[in-house]
Amino acid sequence: MALSGTEVDVINSVARLRQATKDQIRREVGFSLDYIGFLCRYLLRKGYLDFSGGYYSLTRVGIKTLLTEETPKIDQKLIKEIASEVAKEFSGELKKEVKRIKIPVTQIRQEVEKKPEEQIKIKTDFELPIEDESLALESNINKIGAKLEKEKSDIDKSVKLFKEIQKRGRKR
Amino acid sequence: MIKRKEEKKVKGLKGEIQKGRGVDIGTVFVKCAQKESEEIAFRSQRNAFFEVEYTDFTKKILDNSKVKYIIKEDKLYVVGDEALQFANMFNKETRRPLSRGVISPTEKEALPMVELLIKSVVREPTYKGEIVYFSVPGEPLDADFNIIYHIKMIEGFLKTLGYTPKPINEGHAIVLSELAEEDFTGMGLSFGGGMVNVCLSFMSVPIFKFSVVKAGDWIDQQVAMAVDETASRVSAIKESSLDLSKEGNLSKIESALSIYYNHLIEYVIENIKQEFTKARRMSRIIKPITIVLSGGTSLPKGFSHRFKQILDQLKLPIPVGQARMATQPLRSVAKGALVAASADEGKK
Repeated sequence: MALSGTEVDVINSVARLRQATKDQIRREVGFSLDYIGFLCRYLLRKGYLDFSGGYYSLTRVGIKTLLTEETPKIDQKLIKEIASEVAKEFSGELKKEVKRIKIPVTQIRQEVEKKPEEQIKIKTDFELPIEDESLALESNINKIGAKLEKEKSDIDKSVKLFKEIQKRGRKR
Repeated sequence: MIKRKEEKKVKGLKGEIQKGRGVDIGTVFVKCAQKESEEIAFRSQRNAFFEVEYTDFTKKILDNSKVKYIIKEDKLYVVGDEALQFANMFNKETRRPLSRGVISPTEKEALPMVELLIKSVVREPTYKGEIVYFSVPGEPLDADFNIIYHIKMIEGFLKTLGYTPKPINEGHAIVLSELAEEDFTGMGLSFGGGMVNVCLSFMSVPIFKFSVVKAGDWIDQQVAMAVDETASRVSAIKESSLDLSKEGNLSKIESALSIYYNHLIEYVIENIKQEFTKARRMSRIIKPITIVLSGGTSLPKGFSHRFKQILDQLKLPIPVGQARMATQPLRSVAKGALVAASADEGKK
């Protein structure tokens, strides 16, 4: 099945960064982290991406995808860049083609290292000990109670479906 | 199997209470949804207060009239719906413990008041560690603040009450509540008091989510300035009698409200379009999506029609099948949060 636009964007982005975390891909492609995770899991399962130590990288299938003209709106410049890296594994003809392309390593580094402050991902979580400050208040709210409304429940089907979709998502 | 199912329910005095709760912590209302037997019970409090002179006599009158109040040191605050009535009576504004979707930084009493209101709707957990999903706004696109402090404070407080709290984006909760038939694919829009929240979801996974701080309160303030009224009075008219489908014989306030509603809807749609531009492409969503409109600011008659008219003019970069109101616009966030909580409880 042909890849969709955003899936190609993800592949392009991983190719550009060589190795990329989900968050780095998100910054390049846009969309939410959840959705990028969803796409990466799909591409991983389909064999386009590899995942190790928190980083996604392209598999041989992923690289081939970049080189296939059928793929929609692929980054032509990127193809050349990637081709230079995989040239050894491909035909001699491709090698010749790649020889014409010169990409300074500093330029690639700059691309990866731009906006360093945005690359910082907060991993720690400060457990905030919250005191119930409302205990200091005198009030009749609990005596009067909250406004209560009821409706017939129709959520069982939604809950079941949501669980199923989440389960499928995890398998992807 | 039957035994396991039974373990998920707790026999209460008024029927079986199922585990898991969903809480909508909005700028105007705090609402908790909980499944009881075959029904969903919604407990809510209006997030507004108004200071009145504290005397024992006033306190007694309020007690007898069942008007909710809070006393802090030497101050007496009327809380809830009645705060709005008091404000209108005195031609003044109500105060809010939440502002623009988060705990108000300018109200000294905000935190204990929010805690009290949350506690009164959420009540005690059925068991220690019961899962509660609470709504949080998306990162605001048009304001220079983030929501981390707000989330951590609410999360910490719910933990103190004995729950296992989990945040859920407000727009995402609407998708879970309203779009099961569409496999949770579509867009949830919550037009609240302090914020408008937007979430585009594909198969229950949020593709993008954000908020803007122009919302119901902004409309009230702009109209109040335009026609020299108090925002509380404008809000009361907006909530009680505004009809956006009315074309003639509009009062000054109604005309101003209509103008600012148009402005707000266009502003929200343009921001959605910009998010699509940022994300560049829309993958996987092939079928026309459904947009669900929800929240207190969406309640006036004719709102969804006005929204559709403006959407037709501005157009989104993906096909829209329909734009419709949520079944219960004031309950859908809490209900969606309950769907998430029930699903999590079911996994235990």
